[in-house]
Amino acid sequence: MDIFLGLVQVVLREGFIYGIMAVGVYITYKVLDFPDLTVDGSFPLGACTAAMLITAGVNPWLACLICFAAGAAAGAVTGFLHVRLHITDLLSGILVMTALYSVNMAITGKKAVVSFFDMPTIFSSGLGGTLHSALGQWGWVIMAAIVCLVIKLVIDLYLKTRSGLLLRAAGSNAKFVVSLGKDPGRMKILGLILGNGLTALSGCVLAQQKESADVTSGTGMVVMSLAAVIIGVSLLGRVRWMKPTMMAVIGMILYRACLTVAMQLGLDTNYLKMLMSIIFVIALVASRFASGRRKHNVVTVDRSSI
Amino acid sequence: MMKKYGKRFLAAALAGVMALACTACAGSGAAASSGSASAAGSAAAGSKKIGVIQYTTVPSLDNCYKGFLKGLEDEGYVKDKNLTIDFQNAQAETATADTEAQTMATKKYDLIGAIATPAAMSAYAAAKANDIPVVFTAVSDPVAAKLVKSLDQPGSVATGSSDQLPLEAQVKMIRAFLPKAKKIGILYTTSEPNSVSTLERLKKIAPKYNFEVVGQGVTNDSEVASGAQALVAKGVDCFNNFTDNNVVNNLQSELQAANKAGIPVFGSEEEQVRGGCLASVSIDYTALGEETGKIAGKILKGEAKPQDTKVYTSESGTPIYNTDVVSTLKLTVPTDYQNATKTTTTKKA
Repeated sequence: MDIFLGLVQVVLREGFIYGIMAVGVYITYKVLDFPDLTVDGSFPLGACTAAMLITAGVNPWLACLICFAAGAAAGAVTGFLHVRLHITDLLSGILVMTALYSVNMAITGKKAVVSFFDMPTIFSSGLGGTLHSALGQWGWVIMAAIVCLVIKLVIDLYLKTRSGLLLRAAGSNAKFVVSLGKDPGRMKILGLILGNGLTALSGCVLAQQKESADVTSGTGMVVMSLAAVIIGVSLLGRVRWMKPTMMAVIGMILYRACLTVAMQLGLDTNYLKMLMSIIFVIALVASRFASGRRKHNVVTVDRSSI
Repeated sequence: MMKKYGKRFLAAALAGVMALACTACAGSGAAASSGSASAAGSAAAGSKKIGVIQYTTVPSLDNCYKGFLKGLEDEGYVKDKNLTIDFQNAQAETATADTEAQTMATKKYDLIGAIATPAAMSAYAAAKANDIPVVFTAVSDPVAAKLVKSLDQPGSVATGSSDQLPLEAQVKMIRAFLPKAKKIGILYTTSEPNSVSTLERLKKIAPKYNFEVVGQGVTNDSEVASGAQALVAKGVDCFNNFTDNNVVNNLQSELQAANKAGIPVFGSEEEQVRGGCLASVSIDYTALGEETGKIAGKILKGEAKPQDTKVYTSESGTPIYNTDVVSTLKLTVPTDYQNATKTTTTKKA
């Protein structure tokens, strides 16, 4: 039983921390309909920035803000490449992701792994420290949940504002935004800024929790967060009172749970990636069947070009 | 947003299929993975449960694990008899290594073994809150990774062995083989921490033997060939390899560039010398793993505590050279190395 509870702790903690990224990816992928590959670079960007700031003795909460800003800057570059220089969405993401590798190495001073064990982090000092000493491992889970849910609420509130509504319109009906005399491209850039800011923040929180950062930690983040968003939305789409941001977070928790269960059942980790892809495909197909009209993932062949 | 009732069934079906996929794959995988579930019932008294995380699959790390098991056996812990091992390979993903480490800590294993630096860091982060000993191997700089306070007195829950290359012995050998050489070219991958820190060490040692070090960083396998070419263009007199996974995996690209220029490549492992490098003073990873296994065994028995168990380092290495390469490059084997192990080019790296 203890073991089971322990596993639940691990799944929830990781789910909430990566869930921050899922909320960000929800904005780019679902709201803006933009497959953003920058995520693979902005996640370690947040982790590396956090590691260097905390090693330098910066307040961990301030570090979170700076990491958000760093990720936001990366998103702005992707947006600029796509909207202003008219590079395709996939390619601009890949370009920035690739460039971020160098940026991350520069931030860490050419070190691939940076550790800052026993330095004050949001999990070990202030509120996090109090929670941890009172509740042990659950303290960390609660801390991760607080950060994730506060961010989710802020994003929910934002999406209801005038600017948020325009953002949603830019994804679903760009012409409408133009007819209002607004620039949908600008809203796209704003969405990418938000999405990547949140991804970097997620990397920052994860680094603070495990007290180390790794420049290669971005591998697989796009797939993981897209899968989480798709699983969440297709499983919980019918729950009307639930906000899609919450669905993204729960999707991430379910994804981490599948992964942990598979490892627990003794699945050779060689097959883990295959399993994740299978789950992803199932969720993707199911979400398309479920929503009928949605054609996000259907490749339409332009016959005139053949 | 979405109103159809049919969705409900689809959602349920999806959940079902996901669960099925999990169990189905797990079922077939269970046989392949090293008995994590069994042995609990038949275990004798005094038996222990440990977890091992290997960061990725490369021959040197595989050898570490082999040696680790041997070392544990020497201390009386035999796998599947009085020792249950939950072996996990992180497939080079830190997120996976983290989850594995967290689960092992949650299950309160008696000890966590970690092979390679990223795995050791994941294990350490998970274990220190639960006070579980971590025994690492193939970590080249445990102090820089903050796993231990110092090599002699770790002062933490972690100890183990370091695979620092015997660089001084290697440089001495290069000098003996190439009395007139001036520049050593180093090809290294910028994302591999071992390579970066080894390069720093080499830069300190080389001037003692009148060498200049020319480093060339690469970021992935497609850059190895051009990186090697760039070093040739900079006029290096020889190449020297570290235990850099990316470079070692693409040894042939490096050798091609070097052979064309007629300059030798010094390896960091026996396998590389068999693959066509001139010579090396190398670490035996199986032996390193074995020493680590012994440390783990002593900790399991309660005879040692990680906080004051010295980190084992292999300072001396075994010299080996390739007779084929010696004759192609028309070199003579220095007198000091006449008795070194000889080999020929037996396989393509």
